[in-house]
Amino acid sequence: MWWTLFGLILIATAATRFYKLDQPDHICWDETHFGKFGGYYINRTFFFDVHPPLGKMLIGLFGYLDGYNATFAFEKPGDKYEDYPYMGMRAGCAIMGALLVPLSFLTVWEMTFSLSAATFAGISILLDHGMLTLNRYILLDPPLLFFISASVYATVKFHNQRDRAFSFPWWFWLSATGAMLVGSVAVKFVGVFVVFLVGFRAIADLWEILGDLSRPVSYTVKHFMARALCLIAFPVVLYMGIFYIHLQVLYLSGPGDGYFSSAFQTHLEGNFLHNASTPREVAYGSLLTLKNSVTGGGYLHSHMHLYPAGVGAKQQQVTTYSHKDGNNRWFIKKFNKPTPLWNSSDPIELVRNGDLIRLEHRPTRRNLHSHKEPAPVSRKHYQVTGYGENGTGDANDVWRLVIESGAENEPLETMRHKFKLVHYLQNCVLSTTKKTLPKWGYEQQEVTCNPNLRDGAAVWNVEDNRFPRLPNVSFSAYKLNFLQRFLEAHAVMFSGNAGLKPKDGELTSRPWMWPINLRGQFFSAGEGVKIYLLGNPIIWWSNLVFMGFYLTLFAVKSIRDRRGIISSPQQLALQERALSACGWLYIGWLLHYVPFWGMGRILYFHHYFPALLFSSMMSGVVIDYLVESIPELLPSGIRNSAYHMLVGVIVSALFYSFYLFAPLTYGMSSGPSTEPNSTMHGMRWLETWEF
Amino acid sequence: MLLFGVALATRFYALDQPNSIVFDELHYGRYAGLYQKQTFFFDSHPPLGKQLLALAGYLGGFQGDFKFDKIGSSYNASVPVFAMRSVPALTGSLLIPLVYMIMLQLNYSQWTAALAGFLFLFDNALLTQSHYMLMEPILLFFAMSGVLCVLKFRALERSGNAQAHSYSLRWWGWLLSGAIFLTCALCVKYVGVYSYLLGLALVGHDFWEKVLGNLSLSKKQVFGHACARFFAFFMVPLMVYVGVFYIHLSTLVNAGPHDSAMSSAFQASLEGGLSSIVRGQPLEVVHGSQVTLRHAHGSPCWLHSHAANYPVKYADKRGSSHQQQVTCYVAKDINNWWIIKRPNRTDLAVAAPLDRISHGEEVQLVHGITGRNLNSHNVAAPASPTKQEVSCYVDHNVSMPAQDVWRVEITNREEIGDVWHALESMVRLIHVNTSVALAFSGRLLPEWGHNQHEIVGDVMVNQPNTIFNVEEHRYTRNEDEKDRQLELMTTDFIPLEPVVMGFWEKFFELQIRMLFISNENVQNHMYTSSPWEWLVLTRGIAYWVSPESNAQIHLLGNIFVWYSATVALGVYCSLLIFYLLRQRRQCYDIHEEAWNQFRTTGEVLLVGYVFHFLPYFFVDHTLFLHHYLPALAFKLLLNAALVEHLYYLTRLVFAKQFFNWMCILIVLTWMSGILMVFNKFLPLSYGLGPMNASQILDLKLRETWDFIVHKP
Repeated sequence: MWWTLFGLILIATAATRFYKLDQPDHICWDETHFGKFGGYYINRTFFFDVHPPLGKMLIGLFGYLDGYNATFAFEKPGDKYEDYPYMGMRAGCAIMGALLVPLSFLTVWEMTFSLSAATFAGISILLDHGMLTLNRYILLDPPLLFFISASVYATVKFHNQRDRAFSFPWWFWLSATGAMLVGSVAVKFVGVFVVFLVGFRAIADLWEILGDLSRPVSYTVKHFMARALCLIAFPVVLYMGIFYIHLQVLYLSGPGDGYFSSAFQTHLEGNFLHNASTPREVAYGSLLTLKNSVTGGGYLHSHMHLYPAGVGAKQQQVTTYSHKDGNNRWFIKKFNKPTPLWNSSDPIELVRNGDLIRLEHRPTRRNLHSHKEPAPVSRKHYQVTGYGENGTGDANDVWRLVIESGAENEPLETMRHKFKLVHYLQNCVLSTTKKTLPKWGYEQQEVTCNPNLRDGAAVWNVEDNRFPRLPNVSFSAYKLNFLQRFLEAHAVMFSGNAGLKPKDGELTSRPWMWPINLRGQFFSAGEGVKIYLLGNPIIWWSNLVFMGFYLTLFAVKSIRDRRGIISSPQQLALQERALSACGWLYIGWLLHYVPFWGMGRILYFHHYFPALLFSSMMSGVVIDYLVESIPELLPSGIRNSAYHMLVGVIVSALFYSFYLFAPLTYGMSSGPSTEPNSTMHGMRWLETWEF
Repeated sequence: MLLFGVALATRFYALDQPNSIVFDELHYGRYAGLYQKQTFFFDSHPPLGKQLLALAGYLGGFQGDFKFDKIGSSYNASVPVFAMRSVPALTGSLLIPLVYMIMLQLNYSQWTAALAGFLFLFDNALLTQSHYMLMEPILLFFAMSGVLCVLKFRALERSGNAQAHSYSLRWWGWLLSGAIFLTCALCVKYVGVYSYLLGLALVGHDFWEKVLGNLSLSKKQVFGHACARFFAFFMVPLMVYVGVFYIHLSTLVNAGPHDSAMSSAFQASLEGGLSSIVRGQPLEVVHGSQVTLRHAHGSPCWLHSHAANYPVKYADKRGSSHQQQVTCYVAKDINNWWIIKRPNRTDLAVAAPLDRISHGEEVQLVHGITGRNLNSHNVAAPASPTKQEVSCYVDHNVSMPAQDVWRVEITNREEIGDVWHALESMVRLIHVNTSVALAFSGRLLPEWGHNQHEIVGDVMVNQPNTIFNVEEHRYTRNEDEKDRQLELMTTDFIPLEPVVMGFWEKFFELQIRMLFISNENVQNHMYTSSPWEWLVLTRGIAYWVSPESNAQIHLLGNIFVWYSATVALGVYCSLLIFYLLRQRRQCYDIHEEAWNQFRTTGEVLLVGYVFHFLPYFFVDHTLFLHHYLPALAFKLLLNAALVEHLYYLTRLVFAKQFFNWMCILIVLTWMSGILMVFNKFLPLSYGLGPMNASQILDLKLRETWDFIVHKP
């Protein structure tokens, strides 16, 4: 019986997941990103994405196995794949997505040892259009969901080995949990919530073990060490290993370079910083390129154009610019001396921390200058301009060099040092606000002098340093070791994530809309086949009902226990089984859902799917409880038939709803559902569904 | 009493100095002034604290004539500074006896209770905050009173004959006053909700333990207890909260500076302001109505057009229709006027019988100044390429026909009826040819569109951004310049029934606006700080600086107190974990009595601290040091409690009297250290002066403290 049901579910899964997998034969939704990123692993080009690399590495691998040579451009959604082999990547993702069904089945089985609970859980994942649609395309969600549900399965399996502590299966499932956790985090950072779930579970287990007075404390310590090893140490190593592969594989310069620091870029073949050389120290008279050290910061730039009338003083513009250009070059000179010549024989003077300096823009020979006029966009900051003629300016050109955590009089070094430039008279720091200037500023970014000296964006470093009288050292001297690159990659990802803020007034998906399935997401909207990501409303709404039922049951049972009311042992066993499984699943749901309420980041509908995994499994358990206990209320004669009827009704309702909404997943070809002649017309149960 | 005396002395010392606006007095003082003038204002915090300030001001003879323009400007004689500042000063002083009693209630000795009072008394941050017209002292006063009442209530619940005390006068008194005080805290600032939750948690916990777990009580009795608590902690707070807003709304009946944050109907219900504009304007929108259309939800703006076309090509190389721009403009402007007409009529003057427009009918909108029709077509909108462009139709003779008919959908016709009413009807304009809705996209147009808001045609009809309402409204009187029949028309004006909004309607609207509109715009304020920094007092806030010297007020805690409290927090948590682990192994290191006290302390103080501190990690808006003060209050109490517990442990471990004396000596040294630091930073708390630069720099113990040095 068990195997029959499991087998049937497997077959149904394979059938639904692979049916019409090659349709639509054009790029759907975010495939344009992840397909492209996967391709970069094949042609070894460095790129930047706000998510960790594992998911994209897997996509790259699937493509590679299918013989994809990463030549397709993945330009925008709707582009036809034509002859490029995209099926490998799709099939890989679909397999990972398909595994969710058996994994949920097995997880619930291990939690309750009830075949019907496991079957219902499997079916509600199997028949959900959201799960199906999301897991058929080249996206990060199939691997993410796979790793999350695998972690849960492994940890439940491990928990069931608790009577055989330190046996082989015990170790196996413990380390499998660790490995799967790494998988989820390394696909997307939201995978970290399942780590918390497993962590709570581990703490609860340890608390149990500690309470067992027949064992010495050292036994608990042993358990603790085993978990620390398999759930902390081993995953950390594995996680770093993934990044190591990521950084090793992507060694060619590519679109991601600009997000990283100068030192990081020296690693990338094809980047102009690769194998370049430059003097180590900065001396007066050097020709410098200054880069803003904030993530994605540009080069300090000026050009032969004045600020227009009405925007502060009518002096030469100073901006930041992200491209290499002759206008990024500045001479550094002492505040009271002209620029020393490169061929003079005067002793070389190094630039030191705390020095008063001027910077002279090489092409226009104007000095970097600031004065008490409001900056063009950020009106609370001061304007920064190029001022003076042939290098002669006034006292407002003087800046003090302050090296970040530098010793007094320490000489300034290329790349290695980060510094601030403090305006001597006004006591403000040279900074960039990253706000784009209007047309007159060629849409470059605003440079200001910020009176708040703690401005985090006011940090600069010397990227290029030319001075023939000092010996050049190779840039490889600045190379970062793996750990530094690992940490920098994380800093860049986090700041990238934090930067994904919705613009003012823009309509975004909010967490409260998700569980009620308020609004979906178009995967493919153009001509021809239309795909719309939307949950099966029957499953989603009943998930909510069952969750409410669980909470009520929990409250009622707690109060009854408290009041000492005794239920029949049969009833009690049934309740215990349902409640203990639901408890953990409910915590899992909370952990994967509630944190989104506090996120300021831009959110999407598909962020709900990890939580949906838990609520669907929970529904399985609750349905099982209901079909077992409702017939108990009936006279014994019709119990059996009532049971079968209930099961029949539920299962057929699920299958019918799946059939009804199936075109959402497999492609709608008729017009919008607002028109009465559309095949989807009757299915628009909520006005917010846009198909 | 001694402590209270000192508290009063410190809190009231030089209360009217500096005689100028300090920090947020700018806002709170202004609001208090607006109360005197009964002028409506909008603030995202609830009104109770401001009402108290205003009451004090009223008693002090404040007329509300002073203009609070910027921090640092001097008050003139019309502002009763002393009276207004005495509200926070008094509540701030009352804190000290309150914490004293709380500690006693938690079964700590008088010495410990006095120590807690001492910590509160000599913390510079609490002193500074209590010295000016700020909300935190009032909030803390209510929160602490509430906690005290709840603790008193618990004491009754837990006493030997709880049964006898049930429903007694004292029982009800503590329960109700606890709930009321906690709600008051909530009505001062919304963060008071955490104090309320703490009270709720404590009462709920006791109910679970003592009532539900008490099997000698019958079902009926349990139910009665549940009802009593439900009444006290849900119904009473609701009444208090609504009552506070009732006073708020019934006091503020005049229109004021923040009206535009509210809906048109709300504004129309205020004296003056919008209601003076809309007075006498006709109610029903008809063929020939001249209207301004206000975007009804979110940021206020009005449908607008002007004599400029969309650029032929946008920056991203997309093309446009090059027809006249339609935008949403945030200011009142002559270009916001539109004339509503029927598609099949050409005359515009309104004539009897009135041709009323109702739900589902089709209309055209003619822009008043340029005379062009509101139009939309299948061209991508300028800033939101996925939406459809909306323009005023210009015939460029490029076979682009006018598609300028719109269908009126009134969304609230259940309440208002099918006929389109000015102000009240919430209207969607649906483009007849393409079924898109006229919508506000939230994006700004670039320079060519004068940075006004973009208006688009949106396929997604059912969303708040598509709803508009008529704000100003008049009937077109003359067909053209020559034809003036004004006098005839005026007789046809429908007398406006004054818009009366019931209290509940106003109340709910205000609640919604307060919850969803954050009117703060101080993202890059100099003195913001993050929750982690509060633990170690990384940054203060500059409140005021004297124009003559370096004398200044800087909100900064007593660093000695703050650090020891942070350490105490760590020690308490470690001890707690230690005891729990040991007890799990059935090892009981301390007496049951001591453990019970230790545990109760955790239930009240540690949980209180966590409730008031943790949420700040998940909020998105700008945070300042003074947000930490409620959490700090619990932390200081915990610190005092821990001192007694450590003293108990010393006595437990060491038998000798000598160690006890050592312990007391250490505490005394610690206290004198606190006094010294307090004294050292006193000038910054009061803004005593004059000070020179070196004196200021002398106080700069941490690199990150940004004092202002602007004079030598």
